[in-house]
Amino acid sequence: MLCRPMGSASRQYGHSGIDRHRSARGYGRAWWLLALIPTLALADTEAPANGAWQLMRGQLYGTRDIGESGDQLMTIEAPASTPDPTATPLVVRFGADLVGKVRQVRVVIDNNPSPLAATLNLTAALPVDEIDLRVRIDRFTSVRAIAETAGGRLEMRSTWVNASGGCSAPPSAAEGGVLGQIRFRAADDNRALQFSIRHPNNSGFQVDPRTGDFIAPHFISHIRLLAGGQTVLDADTGISLSENPTLRIATRQPLSAPLTVEASDLPTQTQYRGTWQGTATAAN
Amino acid sequence: MNSRGGRPACLAALLLLASAATARAADGFAVTQIASGVYVHSGQPVALDAAGHDDIANIGFIVGSRCVAVIDTGGSVRIGRALRQAVLARTALPVCYVINTHVHVDHLLGNAAFLPDRPQFVGHARLDAALERSRAFFLKTYGADLQSPATAAQIVGPDRTVALDGELALDLGGRTLSLRAWPTAHTDCDLTVFDSATRTLWTGDLLFVRRTPALDGSIKGWLQALDQLGSLSAQHVIAGHGDASAGLPAALAPERAYLQGLLAQVRAELAHGISLQEALRQAPATDRSQWLLWDETHPRNVARVYQELEWE
Repeated sequence: MLCRPMGSASRQYGHSGIDRHRSARGYGRAWWLLALIPTLALADTEAPANGAWQLMRGQLYGTRDIGESGDQLMTIEAPASTPDPTATPLVVRFGADLVGKVRQVRVVIDNNPSPLAATLNLTAALPVDEIDLRVRIDRFTSVRAIAETAGGRLEMRSTWVNASGGCSAPPSAAEGGVLGQIRFRAADDNRALQFSIRHPNNSGFQVDPRTGDFIAPHFISHIRLLAGGQTVLDADTGISLSENPTLRIATRQPLSAPLTVEASDLPTQTQYRGTWQGTATAAN
Repeated sequence: MNSRGGRPACLAALLLLASAATARAADGFAVTQIASGVYVHSGQPVALDAAGHDDIANIGFIVGSRCVAVIDTGGSVRIGRALRQAVLARTALPVCYVINTHVHVDHLLGNAAFLPDRPQFVGHARLDAALERSRAFFLKTYGADLQSPATAAQIVGPDRTVALDGELALDLGGRTLSLRAWPTAHTDCDLTVFDSATRTLWTGDLLFVRRTPALDGSIKGWLQALDQLGSLSAQHVIAGHGDASAGLPAALAPERAYLQGLLAQVRAELAHGISLQEALRQAPATDRSQWLLWDETHPRNVARVYQELEWE
């Protein structure tokens, strides 16, 4: 219990939440989650230790060695005490030795109801040196990124995030819009591109206060980034991504337009699509 | 009480305890008559996880010739009871209305203390839904601020509401309170109260003075609301937090400058493709030294504004 947060660092006035995660007690009724990832029905461990990760490590990586040190290779960064548990930025960066060589990155949030937040498959065509995700943090937890290179090398970095108040939702002003609308934002030098998909990303853990029933899960499960018809990044995602799922990638070379995002959700399997045509300055 | 039973038992216990509490004087709970029949208790500028966090909001009551309206009840049943005693010490008239300016705990968790008076609980049309969403969170996080054992029934919602963008007049006898339900601003359920007799404007948390404004609604909506508030003519102003005796529009100016600075800064960051993480690290546009509890509030505001504006 040493690692338990003392008090609650980020208590808030209220909770404008429409979408809160449930503790593990909710699993009995969240049958669909068990069906999706049957091996991840975890004990409700309050300790930030790593029950989820110990289980997943064996299943995903067996007894393979995983490097865990060296900031020059790779880092993961998150606010130590998240100002907004519904939308906590996580940034994974690769050093020169890994850029262009990483083929897969898994992001794990140990104490979330669905710990595997995302599995990103990368290609040599898009040598990203930074990946930025926006996630829900249910409570004090370690978050970790595990990178696997084309050569089979594994590197993991982790950090702690303190959150309190659970997964309170974004303000109502952030809701609404057109479902599936995709918005791009590029850095001035086109070396970073953020894309966001208007979507509630309902976890299925949300309880309708009036009926006491769970509200059906509805979340973006797959995101692809395409250049010239070729997939350059492919991500399996889930309910740990924030409402309006957002990914941001950065590269050493300016990105060239057009880039297309294709996304789909569960359970409706609706497809969403949007294309970045470059910024005005890039076009000129 | 052995019974952990149904709502009636809990309610009965509450009524009993609340009644018993009236026999005692509240310790150190001060209310000031800032205008004829208008009484205010000033909240303290402490954080939400600090001792005294249940007593941070400005709350009070207005006495008419027929009855009393309570405006916000504090962040605990204890504070609510102290406020109720303050009412009883000043008038024999009944409490006919308990008005909540919005859903936040520091303004509302004292509601249960007034159940023995059987008032109408009045709020924004969206207050009830906001409360339904929040009830479990309040119980879990702020249960210790309710009467033990904490129950959902103690978190009392409105039984009379003001339509969005609409007004409601409440007659207290000899004075009329005009309630206005605002579009999403500080929260999605902000209500202001205007007392015709003394021209006193009760802003709720549309106005923070000295305490860093906390955004839980829409920054654009909030700034629009401030434009309208600033044009009102009021003799006395009671902010949700802090001392607004400077009156309108002066008391609004620092908050407006803070919100405008935040809006402009985040909008520019988004235009340059700056990430949320970087945005959280940027030096603020405002001089933070003029604000209390900055670190507890400002970073979250940045995150909220970023998410609101990124869809512009």
